[in-house]
Amino acid sequence: MTGGSNRLISSLVEDLEPIRLLPRLRLAYGLILTLWAGLLGLVLWMRPGEPGLASLFTNRIYFGSFVGLLLAALGGTGSALAAGVPGRERLEVGGMGISIVGLLIAIVTCLIGMYEVGAAGIPSPEGANAMCFRHSALMSLLPAGLILGFLFRGWTVHPVRAASLALLGSGALGAMIVHMSCDVLTPRHMLLSHLSLPIVLVVLGIYPLAVIFRRLRR
Amino acid sequence: MEVAWEVRSAQPLESSLPTDERDDDRDSKRLDARLSEWMRAAQRGDAEAYRDLLNAIQPKIRAIVRAKIHQEAAAEDVVQNTLLSIHRGRSTYRPERPFGPWMRAIARNSIIDHFRDRKRRGDREVELIAEQWADDRQTDEMGGDSLAPELEAALASLPDAQREAVTLVQVRGLSVAEAALRAGVSVAALKVRAHRGYRAMRLALEGKRKGGEWPSARPAHAIEKTTSRGAG
Repeated sequence: MTGGSNRLISSLVEDLEPIRLLPRLRLAYGLILTLWAGLLGLVLWMRPGEPGLASLFTNRIYFGSFVGLLLAALGGTGSALAAGVPGRERLEVGGMGISIVGLLIAIVTCLIGMYEVGAAGIPSPEGANAMCFRHSALMSLLPAGLILGFLFRGWTVHPVRAASLALLGSGALGAMIVHMSCDVLTPRHMLLSHLSLPIVLVVLGIYPLAVIFRRLRR
Repeated sequence: MEVAWEVRSAQPLESSLPTDERDDDRDSKRLDARLSEWMRAAQRGDAEAYRDLLNAIQPKIRAIVRAKIHQEAAAEDVVQNTLLSIHRGRSTYRPERPFGPWMRAIARNSIIDHFRDRKRRGDREVELIAEQWADDRQTDEMGGDSLAPELEAALASLPDAQREAVTLVQVRGLSVAEAALRAGVSVAALKVRAHRGYRAMRLALEGKRKGGEWPSARPAHAIEKTTSRGAG
């Protein structure tokens, strides 16, 4: 039965060409975070008035959601990149755990905040929810492009997991920029407009992206 | 006693292991380093190193696969899929990382894909069509001719991609992985194309084959062959 494999090996050897290696995970991660930090700096610099970040140590609901979203963004991005390299499952699963825990912390913190001020929470200024959601989506385009670029060049061991992590990581990075720059700090607004993007992206994009990964992979 | 314990615990862990285990460990590290070196050379385009690498890992992959898949033909298919995946994903191997975990992750994934594909696609149907095809080919070989005209016509009526997939796997007898490599598509895509091709052919040929024979079968030709064989 090994005749077929031997023939395949000959075909593979004939098909061999020099290739460019996939960048190191650490390098790719560093590059994405650096560009993301540049984008964040630009947004904060261009923004008039006091950003939400100024309330980091004075508003505990904001602080909890900030830490949670940061964990989701860092963990999600790192594990998404690891998902593109076979043999890095431990890193992938670890990062995934961190990002899920982070997202839960952020959501629960906002829910506690909403509970404290009444069941429906304080309503947000008109149009603020939709605007922040749109901005978050816009801000997540750069990290999404970089993460997907890496994964398309890589070889995703678990396409569904890779797709969800890529969407979660890039969505959380985009939401993080808006979360730090937005001055509407009501728990309901933070939950609906800042934290919802990664979840919406995962729900809408997981299947088509997983199909693309599966097709690219083999 | 305390001093002696301190001295012992200061020794490297490796020296406290039994000699056999230490040797095994060293051997496997040495082998991993060699595989890693071959892969590095292959990434630069060294065909000889690549051949050595693939020949060296083939039995290892087979052992991993056979531990999970006991059916020989299916296991061989998965071994070939793994080799193809290693080929296509070779840019993701970083030389500073050990080779073994990278290879095992790809092999494990091919095994999972195999079980998932089987479950999803109802392989039994494909197998039945393939068996029928094999019967037709045998009959045909006995007749000393090419495919039955009905089969050829059904094959010709398929879209290009499906015809290519069916021809590579059934007519030329390549494995799915080899056929995928030749067609320049993924194993999954080739399986889907072949599967659709089989289905379309089966529909086109439905009811045409009576009593296990095609209408175009030439009894006179078959009799002539039998007679000449008998005379020889």
